[in-house]
Amino acid sequence: MRVLFFAQLKDVTGCDAVDLAATSPLNRDGLWAALLEKYPALAVHRSSVRLARNCEYAEPEAVFSHSDEVALLPPVSGG
Amino acid sequence: MNIEVQLTDAPIAGQISPPASVGAHGAFVEFRGIVRAEENGQPIAALEYEAYLEMTLREIRRLLESLVERHPCLAARVIHRVGVVPAGEAAVYVGVISLHRAEAIALLGEFLDRLKQDVPIWKRRALPVAGAPNLKSELPASRPRAAMHSLDEAMAEIRSRCQPLPAVRAPLAETSGRVLRETICAREDLPPFDRSARDGYAILSTETREVFQVVDTLHAADWKPRSLQSGEAVRVATGTALPCGDLRVVMQEHVVRDGDRVRVLKQERASNIRLRGEDVKAGQPLVQAGVRLNAGALALLATAGCAQPLVSPRPRVAHFTTGDELVPPHQSPGPGQIRDCNSSLIRGLLQNIPCDLEQKHLPEDFETAWRQLDRGHLAQADLILVSGGASVGDKDFTRPLLERLGFEIIFAQVNVRPGKPLIFGVHGARVAFGLPGNPLSHFVCFHSAVALALARMAGESAPAFLRAPLAAKLNDEPCPRETLWPARLDWNAGAPRLRPLVWASSGDLACLPTANALIRVPANQGSMSQGAEVDFLPAPGMIFP
Repeated sequence: MRVLFFAQLKDVTGCDAVDLAATSPLNRDGLWAALLEKYPALAVHRSSVRLARNCEYAEPEAVFSHSDEVALLPPVSGG
Repeated sequence: MNIEVQLTDAPIAGQISPPASVGAHGAFVEFRGIVRAEENGQPIAALEYEAYLEMTLREIRRLLESLVERHPCLAARVIHRVGVVPAGEAAVYVGVISLHRAEAIALLGEFLDRLKQDVPIWKRRALPVAGAPNLKSELPASRPRAAMHSLDEAMAEIRSRCQPLPAVRAPLAETSGRVLRETICAREDLPPFDRSARDGYAILSTETREVFQVVDTLHAADWKPRSLQSGEAVRVATGTALPCGDLRVVMQEHVVRDGDRVRVLKQERASNIRLRGEDVKAGQPLVQAGVRLNAGALALLATAGCAQPLVSPRPRVAHFTTGDELVPPHQSPGPGQIRDCNSSLIRGLLQNIPCDLEQKHLPEDFETAWRQLDRGHLAQADLILVSGGASVGDKDFTRPLLERLGFEIIFAQVNVRPGKPLIFGVHGARVAFGLPGNPLSHFVCFHSAVALALARMAGESAPAFLRAPLAAKLNDEPCPRETLWPARLDWNAGAPRLRPLVWASSGDLACLPTANALIRVPANQGSMSQGAEVDFLPAPGMIFP
């Protein structure tokens, strides 16, 4: 699945997107586990980051599958 | 609700039309969020915004759709900037249409709160203010700024930052070539009365007889209403107001006159009458706002009695040449000197655009030049042009000059040849260009940039690229920059075509007398064959004089 990083998370990961090899659908914890394995520095942001799935905020029980576009959204500051 | 959402890296226009809505509306509420010049107590030059584009568009739409259930509005438009937004510019624009103000204001307020909570847009960083301009400072060093603008980006900046100058009322005789700022409608029918289209005799339209009694004679300026009986005729001239309705005019060539009698030799079907309002009905638009007034438009305004039309003002243009190597045309250049041709070029190019031009030569030494400027007078100029001194070098001075005059430099390079070192600055509604010193660059920059700015300031729709085929092969090596190639536009069997002219360097003058268009050659294109369709920019007045 494609995972996008925005704003300061780009500085943390050093990239704006990554392809995560997910053989089976992941729940929220599973997704974070996979991400933190790759980017441990994301840990401090976990509590403030909201997850989006296919351009919509993900429900707490959402499941992320291979074909989804997932985004990690730090607190927004538009306007 | 009709919703329009836009993310843009270009400045948000100063005036935005209301979003389209169906049915009656009574309120149009607008909000602009402006980037403040300080962040956390520190002065800043700009903010950089980042957005998750697709989700932002969906989220804004979703938000508005949920809010409209509680605040029944008719239409909304949201524009949010991304990328670098300078302090003082709007980062966000919201316009809402509703039947009454209360729901629009309520929706707007709630939307802005939610925008800041839910829409994936981030202020990425604040850009610090670079050394603020200081009048006592040394000549500021030329510093590269921002990435080079593409031609499209440069033209878009000019288009968006040059605003129409306030309109003025001027006597009709002084408005030729200026842009009309109001739509002029006919105050009365044209022609204003039924009038004869022939010299001849007016009779009742139903007459079938051959001989008539001539009961009156009317001249062109006469106004003598009267009724006509069967068997009566009235002598009329072309243009005469007819005495009553329901008539026709028999041409004088078709009658024989004998004293006060007239015999009709040939019955015609035509009435030979121009009816009231046949050309123009009262209230009908005659000349639309935004039209540059040519002779025909002036004649129509005169006919309509519009003696003081609302038009674009004559912009005040200050043109400076720089360079100690320049001597006036009547002098013989000494070693290392050349005659100044750019003053003549600019004067000639501005000849067909109503403006008040003042030209002055400035010495190359910056401080000396600065002391020679009548800055109070210069502050009145709507447009400042500086020739030369725009290329990178020790003696650069256009940019520091404009900055010291308070102009914000929008770009200082354009990725196009010739004319790459073009500088564009704005100071409120005032505009300045630094034109690269070479005459061909001047020519190109004038047509692609200065003419565009003047058109916008006049309130005219901006000139755009047109398409035509090449009349001959365009010989070129592939160039990593776009090229604006001087060309001759003419007509072949009624169709426009472009002949590429020969030029070797941006100092090349030989092609200038012939050039009246610029062909846009894409980057890395190389040669183009005869017959190829190309984009081109015509000289102002070439296509629609």
